Amino acid sequence: MALKTKQAKKPPQPPKGSRKSKFQADLAPAEDRMVRGLKQELQLNSNTDFLSDALALFRWAVGERKRGHRIFSEAETGERKELVLPRLERVAPELALPRVEISWTPRELESLADLALREPAPPTETLLRAMRG
Amino acid sequence: MAVLIRRLEEPDQVELFDCGDEPLNNYLRRHAWANQQKSSIGVTYVAIDEGAPRTVLGYFTLATASVPRDAFPKKYVRGLPPYDLPLILLARLAVDRRFSGKGLGHALISEAFKIALRVADDVGCRGIIADVYRDRIDWYARYGFVALEGGAPSGPQRMFLDIRTVRVALKGSQQA
Repeated sequence: MALKTKQAKKPPQPPKGSRKSKFQADLAPAEDRMVRGLKQELQLNSNTDFLSDALALFRWAVGERKRGHRIFSEAETGERKELVLPRLERVAPELALPRVEISWTPRELESLADLALREPAPPTETLLRAMRG
Repeated sequence: MAVLIRRLEEPDQVELFDCGDEPLNNYLRRHAWANQQKSSIGVTYVAIDEGAPRTVLGYFTLATASVPRDAFPKKYVRGLPPYDLPLILLARLAVDRRFSGKGLGHALISEAFKIALRVADDVGCRGIIADVYRDRIDWYARYGFVALEGGAPSGPQRMFLDIRTVRVALKGSQQA
């Protein structure tokens, strides 16, 4: 099947510089069946709508990975599955941070050890708000 | 304004960035890219408006560090795990003054916390360290940072936030 943008009979004249472009793809029979099945499930009538929705989803996924966010699905039981797509991983930033040396005074180290050994403080309201965003 | 926070990229416009503090401006303009790409001594994340995706509105820089176990005073060593104490350094955080008061600092530090959690999950981290200007201590304290004692009386104040507190906050925010 070839994905083609259908032309309306009398399309409104687009402003200069925003002409629609055609998109054509050769799909294997299995992919063709997949497209038809998805269009039916999603109640999409045209290939244009199908492509537009698929593009929006893909753009979102690329944006999320670009920010270093991981993409999960979560079942009602809480079971999570991560979406890992090699192409998406190309845009994901490397999370590894470089390592630096920090100089400490003996009293700072004592203060740090004291804090590290304590039970963690409960989060402040501002921190909770920060993690909600 | 739709703000996006991502890693600094070479074509980003940093020359006009002005947070009102010359060392912070200068770091972004002159050193952030080289430190990230060439020297690998800090990764800078920038806030940009999706409508003008090369103009930097704010930034923060992260790196990792650790304290060797034997550097701690002896009376504390026994209670600590038998390893170096891994930390994340929030080295700098600044917002262009044209955009101050719009919650950008909050958005930036929120992202820094989320990155810190992911790094902690991947390679381990016990807390976040920030060297904070004295007039900003209260702002960091609102997020739970605690001032460490024993630093120089003038100059930045070193502060610490336990990563477990951040993790609890994430869980709390997901349940809310």
